[in-house]
Amino acid sequence: MQINITQHDTIFVLAITGSIDSLNADELSQGFAASIAQGHVRLVADFSLVNYTSSAGLRSLLGTVKSCRLAGGDLRMASVQPQVQRVLDIAGFTSILNIFPDVRHAVESFTEAA
Amino acid sequence: MTRAPIQGPAVTLVIGSGSVKCAAAIGVVKALSDVGIGIDRVVGCSGGALFAAGVAMGFDAATMADITVRTWTRRVTSKRNRMGFLRLLAPRLFGFKAESFGLRDDAPMLAAFRAVFGDQRIEDTPIPLHITATDFQNGELVEITRGDLVEAIRASASLPLAFAPVKLGDRLLIDGYMADPLPVSVAMKSGSRVIVAVGFESPYQSNIRSAGRFAAQLSAILANNLLRSRLAFQSAAHHGEMILILPEFKQRVGLFDTSKVPYLIQEGEQAALQQLPYLHALLNAERERLEAVTA
Repeated sequence: MQINITQHDTIFVLAITGSIDSLNADELSQGFAASIAQGHVRLVADFSLVNYTSSAGLRSLLGTVKSCRLAGGDLRMASVQPQVQRVLDIAGFTSILNIFPDVRHAVESFTEAA
Repeated sequence: MTRAPIQGPAVTLVIGSGSVKCAAAIGVVKALSDVGIGIDRVVGCSGGALFAAGVAMGFDAATMADITVRTWTRRVTSKRNRMGFLRLLAPRLFGFKAESFGLRDDAPMLAAFRAVFGDQRIEDTPIPLHITATDFQNGELVEITRGDLVEAIRASASLPLAFAPVKLGDRLLIDGYMADPLPVSVAMKSGSRVIVAVGFESPYQSNIRSAGRFAAQLSAILANNLLRSRLAFQSAAHHGEMILILPEFKQRVGLFDTSKVPYLIQEGEQAALQQLPYLHALLNAERERLEAVTA
């Protein structure tokens, strides 16, 4: 798994590549936590190149969403691929996550809400 | 019976409800077994209980496919329970009793299960087996780990309205899917770290022109929402890893479509094969972790 971070005004976009599972979920959580520690709590997770997530990956997302929302921000998902969307659906996570068709819409959603 | 500890890498297998579609679990077991991954514990719910029992007995894929074709036939539900219908139509006149209410006679089903499993007891299966059912009085998930295997499967597969509940001890039990269609929590409570969960969504009805299909649609809505909410909690709460296998069937599969068993097995095997590279890496990491703990 690789994480590439870019900044769009006050919003940090974390583009993730590969699978998210128990072998690397800590690394992802730390990537998110590092951004949050710097006060960046408006995050977008670009999932266009994520092909799998397990329960450990779901826990990482859940922990990050909670941290961001507690600090007044949010973690928003973009470009979720069908196989990952199915896992998010069946594990009930689509009911609590904000998911957008692409990064642009996810980034703009923060501006619209402001 | 003292069970021998499993040698080599192993996972806990959970097979959810899904009628004949649960035969996909045979393909999952085959994919695991072909690469030397064992099963240290198996949990089954409703239709999945039948297949979990086969896994716990150590049956191979061919034997389990044969059992499915022989037991999961339309014949097991073909015999009407006339008293059930009379009690439905005139409950006061014929004396409605929850403990015996079902519109189908369960004798053919029991005979089919008994022909496969005989008087096997759950606590004596080579692989630890947990079968789940639902307490009719309070909706609790009931975990059956001892007693007559056939009675437990029958209780777990007590499709509401079709088959009467089963009295086990002081509990009246109905279909396990009413409490949790994919009871991963049972494996979690047993301490399992790496869980492979084979689950199925209930199909929605496309053409609802009878009360039966109307009821099936209501049941599917409830079951699928329950599946999602339970999985959400279990994903968040699990201390290890849960690998979800959710076979998607392009062909429509009916409740007793045993002609599709080879197709179901193939789809289950394909879905499992996609997970194998990660599963290997995960089990290697688990082995290294355990070696570090015991060193």
